[in-house]
Amino acid sequence: MTTLALAARPGGRVGPLGMAGLVLLAALAALPWFSGAFVQHLAVLVCLNAVMVSGLALVARCGQLSLGHAAFVAIGAYASVLAARHWGLSFLPAMLLGALASALVALLLGWAILRLRGVYFVLVTFAFGELLRLALLDGAALTGGANGIAGIGAAQVFGFAFDTRERFYGLALAAALLSLWMLHALFRRPLGHAMDALADNPALAESTGLNVHRIQLLAFVAGCALAAAAGALQSRYIGYVSPESFNTSVSIGFIIMLVIGGRRSVWGPLVGAMVLTPLPELFRGAVQTQHIFYGAALIVILRFLPDGLASLPRRARQLWSRDAA
Amino acid sequence: MDWTFLATQATVNGLIVGLLYLLMAVGFTLVFGVMRMVNFAHGEFYMLGAFGAYFLVSGAQLPFMAAVAITFAGALAGGALLEWGVLKPFRRDELNGMIATIGLAMILQNLALMFFGPDPLSMPPVAEGVTRLGKAVVPTARLYVVVFACAVLALLYGFLRFSRPGRALRAVVEDMEIAAIQGIRSRLYYPLGFGLGAGLAAVAGALMAPLFSVSPFVGGAPLLKAFIVVILGGLGSIPGAAVAAMLLGLVESYASLLLAGSTADMLIFAIVMAMLVLRPKGLLGRGEA
Repeated sequence: MTTLALAARPGGRVGPLGMAGLVLLAALAALPWFSGAFVQHLAVLVCLNAVMVSGLALVARCGQLSLGHAAFVAIGAYASVLAARHWGLSFLPAMLLGALASALVALLLGWAILRLRGVYFVLVTFAFGELLRLALLDGAALTGGANGIAGIGAAQVFGFAFDTRERFYGLALAAALLSLWMLHALFRRPLGHAMDALADNPALAESTGLNVHRIQLLAFVAGCALAAAAGALQSRYIGYVSPESFNTSVSIGFIIMLVIGGRRSVWGPLVGAMVLTPLPELFRGAVQTQHIFYGAALIVILRFLPDGLASLPRRARQLWSRDAA
Repeated sequence: MDWTFLATQATVNGLIVGLLYLLMAVGFTLVFGVMRMVNFAHGEFYMLGAFGAYFLVSGAQLPFMAAVAITFAGALAGGALLEWGVLKPFRRDELNGMIATIGLAMILQNLALMFFGPDPLSMPPVAEGVTRLGKAVVPTARLYVVVFACAVLALLYGFLRFSRPGRALRAVVEDMEIAAIQGIRSRLYYPLGFGLGAGLAAVAGALMAPLFSVSPFVGGAPLLKAFIVVILGGLGSIPGAAVAAMLLGLVESYASLLLAGSTADMLIFAIVMAMLVLRPKGLLGRGEA
C-alpha cells in the first residue's frame, strides 16, 4: 500500500505538511548543539541507533526478521577496533574493514539459511548472536574476554579528531542522514520495489522473474554492513567494547525500535530510535517497568498500528480525506 | 583415569540432559506445528514452571510430584488464556505472531523480576545420595527427574496418540483446513496447543528446579537448546525432536569431556549450519524447510 501511495505522488514532491515536518526535524537535529552534554549524548545514541535499525529495516523489508543484529554490530565494532590497534589502520579504513567483515559473515550465513522458511532465519540468527557473544568471551587473548577492550581512541578523519561530544554528534548525524538517504534512494529504485514485492508474496515475486534468494541475500549483507559501520562508530564514541553490549536483548531492542517506528517506511528506524532511545531515562531506577512497557507497547503496536508510528501521518491523512468526502 | 568409565558416565549424563532438552523442545515444536508460531515466550514458561515448583515445594510443603502436576495445570490454563487473550489476532501471521511472543516474553520475565527478585533461589533436592548404574554413578535426584520426564513424555505420547483431543490436535498440526473439513473445531485447538506447549515448558522447568537454581533468567539457555533441537529435528516434527534432543545431549556431554569452553558451542552451531545446508527438513525428514 505504502509503495503505491508513494509512487502515485508525482516526482515525490513534498506537501506543505511534509515540509513542516522536515523543518521541525531539522530544528530538532540542530537542537543538541545548543543544549547540555546529556541531550548531546542522547542525540548521538539516537543517530547511531537509527543507522543500526536502518540496517535491520533493510533486512525486514524483504520479509525476514534478524534476531542477531547486535552480533553484526559487534563484528563491526571489534574488527575495526582490532584492526586499528594491531595493524595501525586509521578510522575510515578500519570502519570499512569492519563493515566488510560483517558483510562476509552475513553472506556465508545468509547463503545457507535464506533459502529456507523465514522461521529458520530467525532461529539461526538468534543462535548466531549467542554464539558470537560466547566466542568473544572465550577469545580473551584477542578480544579481552568479559573485560572487553577499553581506551579506544577518538575517531579521526583526515586529521580532524571527533573527540568532543559536539564534534562526534556531527559525525553521527551525518551517518544517520546518509543511511536514511540511501534507504530512501533504494526504495525509489526497481530493486527497492522488488524487495517490497517479495516481502508481500515471495512465490509471486519469484514467478515474475525476481531472484528472491539473491535479493534477500543482498539486503541481508547490506543491512549487516550498515550495522557494522554504526558499530565501528559507536566503539569510537563510547571508547569501550565488551561482549555484553551486544547480547540478544540489544538485538531485541533493535526489533522493538523498528516495529514501533515502522517497518514499511524509510522514516521508521529514525522515528523508532528517537522515541525509544531516550525512554530509559524516564524509567530510571525502574528497569523492569520499562521492559514491561516495551513488551506491552510492542504487542499493542503490532495489533493496532502494524506499520508503526511512522504510518501515523498517512493514517491521519486517510481519516481527514474520508471526513472531507 | 579409565576411559570406558568416563565414556559411560558421559553417555549417561548426555542422555539425561537430552531428555530434559526433549521436554523443552517438544512443547516448542508442538506450538509451531499447531499455530505456525515461533514461541519466544517458551523459555519464560520454563522459568515460571521452575518458580511454581519452588514455591509449592518450599513454601506450601507439597510433595514434588503434586507440585509438578499443579504447575503443569496452571501453565496449561495460563498459556491457553494468554493465547486467547493476547495472541489471537496474530493467528496465521508468522512474523507478527513471533514478534508478539517476544513482547510477551519480556513482560513475563520482568514481572517475575519484580515479584521474585533477581537473586537465584535454590530448592531442596528431591532425593539424597547417588545410584550406581553399572559403571556410571548418577545422583539419585537426577534419576528421579529422569523418571518423571519419561512419565510426562509417555503421557504426552498417549494423549496425542489415543485420546480424541490429542488426535484432533495432531490432525490440526498436519493440515488445518482438512482437519476443519473433518469437523474439528480448529479454533479450539489454538489455545489448547499453546497451553499444552506452555505446560510442557513449565514441567521441564519444574523438573529442573531441584537440580539447578531458580531465577527469572533461567529461561534463556533452555530456549536456545530448544531452538537447536527443533532445527536439527525439523520444525514441527516430534519424533525428529526426540532424536535430535538425545543427540544434542550426547554431543554436549562428550564435547565437555574433550573440548574446552565455547568450542563445544561452536561445534554444535557448525552441525546446525551443516544440517540446514545439507538436509533442511531435519534428521528424520518429516519437518518442513
